[in-house]
Amino acid sequence: MLSETVDPARPATAATGQEQEARARVAELEARFGDPYDPANPMGQHQLLAADEAGEISAAGEAVLDGLNLNADFVPRALGGRLDRLDTLVRVMRQVFRRDVTLGLGYGATTFMAAVNVWTTGDAGQQRRLAEVLLANRKAAVAYHELAHGNDFVRNEFAATPDGAGGFRLNGSKQVINNAGRADVLTLFSRTSDAPGSRSHSVLMVERELLDQARVEVLPRYSSVGVRGCHLAGLSFTDCPVPGSALVGELGQGVELALRSFQMTRSAVPGMAMGAADTALRTVVRFALGRQLYKRSVMDIPHARETLSAAFLDLLISDSLSLTATRAVHLLPEETSVYASAVKYLVPRMLNDAMHDLSIVLGARFYVREGEFGVFQKHVRDLPVLSLGHAGSAACQATIIPQLPRLARRAWFSGDPAPDTLFRPGDDLPELPFGRLTLASGRDGLSASLVAAVDQLPSGTPVELSVHGAALRFMDELRQLQEDALSLSPQDRTALASPASFALADRYAVLLAAASVIGVWRQARGGEDSFLADPSWAAAALHRLGRRLGMRQPDLPDGCEERVREEVLRRFHDRRSYDLYDSPLAG
Amino acid sequence: MTTEIHDLPAESAVHTSESLTVWLVDRIAVYLRRSPGEIDPTVPLAEYGLDSVAALSLCGDVEEDFDLVLEPTVAWDYPTVEALAAHLLEDLAGEVGRR
Repeated sequence: MLSETVDPARPATAATGQEQEARARVAELEARFGDPYDPANPMGQHQLLAADEAGEISAAGEAVLDGLNLNADFVPRALGGRLDRLDTLVRVMRQVFRRDVTLGLGYGATTFMAAVNVWTTGDAGQQRRLAEVLLANRKAAVAYHELAHGNDFVRNEFAATPDGAGGFRLNGSKQVINNAGRADVLTLFSRTSDAPGSRSHSVLMVERELLDQARVEVLPRYSSVGVRGCHLAGLSFTDCPVPGSALVGELGQGVELALRSFQMTRSAVPGMAMGAADTALRTVVRFALGRQLYKRSVMDIPHARETLSAAFLDLLISDSLSLTATRAVHLLPEETSVYASAVKYLVPRMLNDAMHDLSIVLGARFYVREGEFGVFQKHVRDLPVLSLGHAGSAACQATIIPQLPRLARRAWFSGDPAPDTLFRPGDDLPELPFGRLTLASGRDGLSASLVAAVDQLPSGTPVELSVHGAALRFMDELRQLQEDALSLSPQDRTALASPASFALADRYAVLLAAASVIGVWRQARGGEDSFLADPSWAAAALHRLGRRLGMRQPDLPDGCEERVREEVLRRFHDRRSYDLYDSPLAG
Repeated sequence: MTTEIHDLPAESAVHTSESLTVWLVDRIAVYLRRSPGEIDPTVPLAEYGLDSVAALSLCGDVEEDFDLVLEPTVAWDYPTVEALAAHLLEDLAGEVGRR
């Protein structure tokens, strides 16, 4: 009998069903968002800048997103939505952040962050209800933050006191909550026991309209440096009753639930925000091509040219790390805790650094709030919001620090490498395993894949040799990190650890980024994307990461930088995205 | 900085709740920068200010010295030295039983 067979180990390069669907959704958004330079377009720069100047989230922009039923992208498919892959959600949301961080966060990511808690641990009724609310284009707010306690949320005071009859009474305030005044559903991180420690909080899901309105007050909005249109406000409750059915998961499970949910949001949100940096780079390329200085265009000035290439490489590095971390949630959920923290720590930092460097090329235009380049200063102000919120950079490092000795002892140089599919953006993924995320891991397949790559990487051409040499240096770095992690004193494994411990977490995050770049390039070799298949970008990206760690490294071989520079221009002229996907854009 | 820890040979020693209590008190005192005499085994560790990062590190220490794999939430569910020692004793007995 003749039958067609497909090699399951190596899926065909043709796009799978999931991949086709993701591309179609991205294209659908982009088509609706339209020309970014059209002053009449609600999703264009002109109008979004005007909304920002007015301190408002664009109502017309929100209407466009409603029309696309963007909330469906946050709702699991089993509940009637479109969410089946975290890396796809990142891609979709990147299109929104590309236009406006305020919409990305204020319309999108905030609702997703609130919802993840319910998808992770909510009961069937809560999940169904939340899906229903979101699919009707209504919002959810994630009310975790209390200014007095920052990221040390184990000490949060907002109380949901059990009333003895199965319900709770809410007392206290939450501050700087996105959409506090207009979300229909609130997920409230609440103290349910006076005892100190990590079993004294619970998450409640409440619907605003079911609350006793006399007992809830929306506090005045905060004005902020960036995302000025976001509705950041506080909520104050006075002895407000809620039924026991509001409890998400078990009583006292709040901290655990938060830490699980964070793994999804920390690995996904920075990659979404990359869209803003893409626009910033595009804006500066446009400027550099148009502006004449010293009788040539800025693009011909070597320093400017190199800055643009470097920003593109930072985007490719960020996307590689974001890709592996989001796919790891599906494929290696037990290992995600450190990867997610590494993304949330490193990606916003890299993007902010890249923005700063780009601002130097833009020169005085960077200071202008309107016109063709006005969008740049807005993104510069908006992007740092990514490093704030529920997990600041230092809090992410603090999540990594206590895990380093454990990984050093049990995982590095002994564990199995991550599966190849972790690095293949076009491959299908299994469902999100909400229940399988763990708070700490003893394994690290991503680092193991770096070690394995050293023996498997090709070394035929000078550029391939350069990648191979970099892989060797990063493997040495892992060995050094292992030694340093094992010799950390107990005091240096607490939240009050010395700066040296924080530096270790930084080096580890950079190393994971390097492992991601190597993995993505290896898997792209021979594939349909000729730029990703070429070792030039990987060599240049690793060189850049090596420089970040202060490594001594040889110069890049001839041709590498040119290849990257050409690609920066090609994607500008062809209107393609500055990330791993090379997606077509409206402008 | 002194880190005097009563090292227990993990495999051969017969663990008792006393020996585990001494080990835990010594280790926790180092994290808290206090003397072991100040740690009351019946007082929740969070009351002494043991943060969640240190609590996770403590789990790592137990793993290293006793060759046990612990849930990272163990210090939350057994919040005092007394409770932790009892839990570890149980876990260690289980380990021996499996060998």
